[in-house]
Amino acid sequence: MLIADKYIQYVKEKTLKEPEKSWDKILLGFRMNRLRTRFLPHRGLAKGYQRLEDMMMAHVADSLSHPDRYVWGNIFAPCEIIGSFGLNTLSIEALACYLSGYHLEDFFIDFSQSIGIAPTLCSYHKAFVGAVESGVVPHPSYAVTTSLSCDGNLNTFRFLQKKNYVPFTLLDIPYKDDEASLDYLAGQLEELVTEMENHLGLKFNMEHLQNALRVENETRRELKRFYELLQTHYYPGEIIHQLYLMMGTHLLMGTQKFLDLVRFMNHDIEGMPEFTGKRILWVHLLPFYQESLKEYFDESEKYQVMATDIVMDYTGDLDAEHPFRALAQKLIENVFNGSYDHKAQTLGRLADRLHPDAVIHFCHWGCKQVSGGSVLLKEEMQRRNIPMLILDGDGIDKRNSHDGQIKTRLEAFLEMMG
Amino acid sequence: MIGYICKYTPIEIFEAMGEEVRRIEPEVTSFNQADTLMHPNICSFAKGVLESALAEHYDGIVLTTCCDSIRRVYDVLREKLPGCFLYMLDAPRITKDAGVHIYERRIRDMIKAYEAYSGKTFDEEKLAEVIRKKEAETAISFRRDRPNIGILGARANPNIRRILEEHGANVAFDLTCTGLGRKLHWQENEPFTGYVRGLLSQFPCMRMETAANRDRMIEQYAGSVDGIIYHTIQFCDNYSYEYAWLKDILKKPQLLLETDNTKQSYGQILTRIEAFLESLQSGRAKAAGSRAAGNYVGKGSAAGGAVGSYAGKDGAVNGVAGKRMGKGSAAGGVTGSYVGKGNAADGAAGNRMGKGSAAGAAGKRMGKGSAAGGVAGNYAGKGNAAGGWDAAERTGQGGTAMYVLGIDSGSTSTNAVIMDQDRQIRAFEVVRTGAKSGESAERILKAVLEKAGLAREDLARVVSTGYGRVSIAFADENVTEISCHGKGAHYFNPKIRTILDIGGQDSKAIRLDERGEVVDFVMNDKCAAGTGRFLEAIARTLEIDISEVGPEALKSTEAIEITSMCTVFAESEVISLIANNKEKCDIANGICNAIANKAFSLMRRVGLEPDFMMTGGVAKNPGVVRAVESRIGGKLYICPEPEIVGAVGAALYALNTLGL
Repeated sequence: MLIADKYIQYVKEKTLKEPEKSWDKILLGFRMNRLRTRFLPHRGLAKGYQRLEDMMMAHVADSLSHPDRYVWGNIFAPCEIIGSFGLNTLSIEALACYLSGYHLEDFFIDFSQSIGIAPTLCSYHKAFVGAVESGVVPHPSYAVTTSLSCDGNLNTFRFLQKKNYVPFTLLDIPYKDDEASLDYLAGQLEELVTEMENHLGLKFNMEHLQNALRVENETRRELKRFYELLQTHYYPGEIIHQLYLMMGTHLLMGTQKFLDLVRFMNHDIEGMPEFTGKRILWVHLLPFYQESLKEYFDESEKYQVMATDIVMDYTGDLDAEHPFRALAQKLIENVFNGSYDHKAQTLGRLADRLHPDAVIHFCHWGCKQVSGGSVLLKEEMQRRNIPMLILDGDGIDKRNSHDGQIKTRLEAFLEMMG
Repeated sequence: MIGYICKYTPIEIFEAMGEEVRRIEPEVTSFNQADTLMHPNICSFAKGVLESALAEHYDGIVLTTCCDSIRRVYDVLREKLPGCFLYMLDAPRITKDAGVHIYERRIRDMIKAYEAYSGKTFDEEKLAEVIRKKEAETAISFRRDRPNIGILGARANPNIRRILEEHGANVAFDLTCTGLGRKLHWQENEPFTGYVRGLLSQFPCMRMETAANRDRMIEQYAGSVDGIIYHTIQFCDNYSYEYAWLKDILKKPQLLLETDNTKQSYGQILTRIEAFLESLQSGRAKAAGSRAAGNYVGKGSAAGGAVGSYAGKDGAVNGVAGKRMGKGSAAGGVTGSYVGKGNAADGAAGNRMGKGSAAGAAGKRMGKGSAAGGVAGNYAGKGNAAGGWDAAERTGQGGTAMYVLGIDSGSTSTNAVIMDQDRQIRAFEVVRTGAKSGESAERILKAVLEKAGLAREDLARVVSTGYGRVSIAFADENVTEISCHGKGAHYFNPKIRTILDIGGQDSKAIRLDERGEVVDFVMNDKCAAGTGRFLEAIARTLEIDISEVGPEALKSTEAIEITSMCTVFAESEVISLIANNKEKCDIANGICNAIANKAFSLMRRVGLEPDFMMTGGVAKNPGVVRAVESRIGGKLYICPEPEIVGAVGAALYALNTLGL
């Protein structure tokens, strides 16, 4: 057994015994893992992905080590505004994933369910609520969430506010894409600034925000280039790296270090060999632990995930002169907002540009807004003659995802593609 | 006809335009279309709306952006109902001015769209007329003569209210989105805005940002009812958060009730509500019993709690027990027997002894029973007591002994118990339930009577329980299996506080108080995971008899984790394990652990208070028993025939009704 595995086992046992006393051990593990990703990188991986993994581990470990330096968010909380207070955003989805590194997700999920949270709720939310309610995870002094992309956000944050006194701001993302919606949401974003100033006693820096949007625009341009290069170049990674990219584009967007990283990836990929295998456009989350998926996609010269909607959820430019309206626009136009037709059309356009050989749509347990439209997306892809596979599973709870079934479906689909 | 679902829909606009509006209340038999067009894991209300919208004819359907599932219903309907006026109204979550402002704008957009669709014109004056005609409905109503129940949570379907009313309960309030009257405003200075503000200021549902006034109102309302039904819808998760919060805050008995908008779920709803009302009645009687007991304290005896307990068993209220006691009638003897179980009322017995001969006999029994303590003591004292009691009974019944039958019609087995007036089991029988529960019941009736050497006429009363309880024509009364398991468990071992019952198609955890009354219970969902059916399916896959699964599991040497929660998934997982050459015993053990995990989570939800008992067919599986014991960190009490506990409880109910 590797030292890391032993430590994971040790922490798991301690947590099950005394949840309230396990946090320091968990945090120490994150810090150690950070050192591991920096000094003992996984050799087979592309350098850009190694650095990406290290950057995300650092973001989590550093934030958690300084509870006054971060706020809880969901993945769509505007990290650009939060960053303009000098604070990091830690999304509950990402935190749930990191905690699952200790194989504690089942304990946390069961804990949530035992206090009455619905078993049919999204496992990310259940895991996070369980982690906090069992006393394992300490909490910061503020939280920000959006109604995008699911009903769980408001309810999870409200529950944690009631039980743990973590105040939060909800950003209600309107459904329709028009001027009235922009006014409505931009107003809320401005109010968020005031609320955070009042609650945290910190000063908001407008110039920082405007600069962040300029950096973000540049990052997005680089990212588009990266995905175009992925069409033709082999860039060995694991499916989890798409999740790291999602973290980067949602929690570190607008930071110079993330822009530098994407630039490095573009530089790095250009020197890589040609990719001649099948290119997959992945829709929604990726179950990073799933053996069969890892077997087929991790560092594979035959199959490469060439883009995901969770990274490319917004592709426009932001007007740094009107930052609140720009951020409102970004949220309203997001691929997860509005009708499913909006999503299907957006993904259709993405497919037109990137020419994937196939689409895999992962229906994560409990995610109604994604699962409910999967058939509509399949029809849209069929119109473009792109085969699409719908896989049911769970992004984090292994018990809801049967590898044998996923393997059969995946293999049949890959056989079908030829 | 315009269909709608959400209380924030401005239906008065359509009424003002001369349209008829109807709230869509789905009650469907299948989700065939919804499962194909959307996904099985979508909220079952939303799936029901989709089925209804496709099956019934609406000229228009107005949906709001109320939740993720409804957003997807709209997407699908848009494709499927091209000629229909299908409108998605974006309802804000914020009720402050910004929310009112944008909602007004959205509603005006909707009016324009409907005008264009229908060729009709909207007139604000007509809207004012519609609003003036509507009167706010009463939100809360109490009745002194019956249990008052409040309904909270997700949109309640009409069956819940109907079942409550049919069972003599008063629905004091219904704070779900279908239960409240509309809140309408018409201000002359800003009429339309005032109307929109009124819509948004209705009692907030869980999608709205401000829930503070929701909490306040719930706490205020809940304080004045006897019990609360907290309703959730399968795959709608929003309300479970509130339940998780309220269950510790509200100091009232609560039933968490999940429904799925199918016609087939009626039976499940019925069982849960009946069991809840039964447990409430015993609670009400307990309170009344304590009041009655006060009289006794005044007389110089010491039997308060015990007399209360008797009153509770009989369901007597407001001092009935006291009256009966005062008369010194034969019923006094019965009280004695209960007191015997409670070990607490020698004084009361003594008091009664002075009042009449039959009661005196009971008193004698009491003395012995309580001296010996517990159930065994009760029976130890029975020799004397039964003598005295029989004598008293013979006077009333013409000298014959009395027998009752408890029959538990479960999905897999039908179990019957014949008990005599001394609570002695005379005979029992367990048979497989066939396709018709009524036929199995006839079969078992014949068999158990034969075993006891009795005839049909010897049975003074028959009480049925279990899923098929209503199909047993010869039963005089039916009681839910939850209450019966509580009674049965207490009969076998009064120390039991938590029961785990795993039957053929459901599993449940029940918490009892020290008198064997049900204080809380949870049941698994429709899914068969962790039930006898699950075990049966796996045994079939392993090609062994179901009775061998437990002994096999005990031989296990390698830990295998079966991760799938679903029977179908688990079965295919087991097939993969077989394909990987894993040992049968290890797979069997993995399955037992999977069941134990599920069971443990149920038990935890009722509180994990020792002592523990396991009942139902699965209690005969030593592998599951071992796994559950390891999860709870304690021993499970298992009576010699764990399948008959429900039937024993039913027989005890029969005796109680007869005043025994």
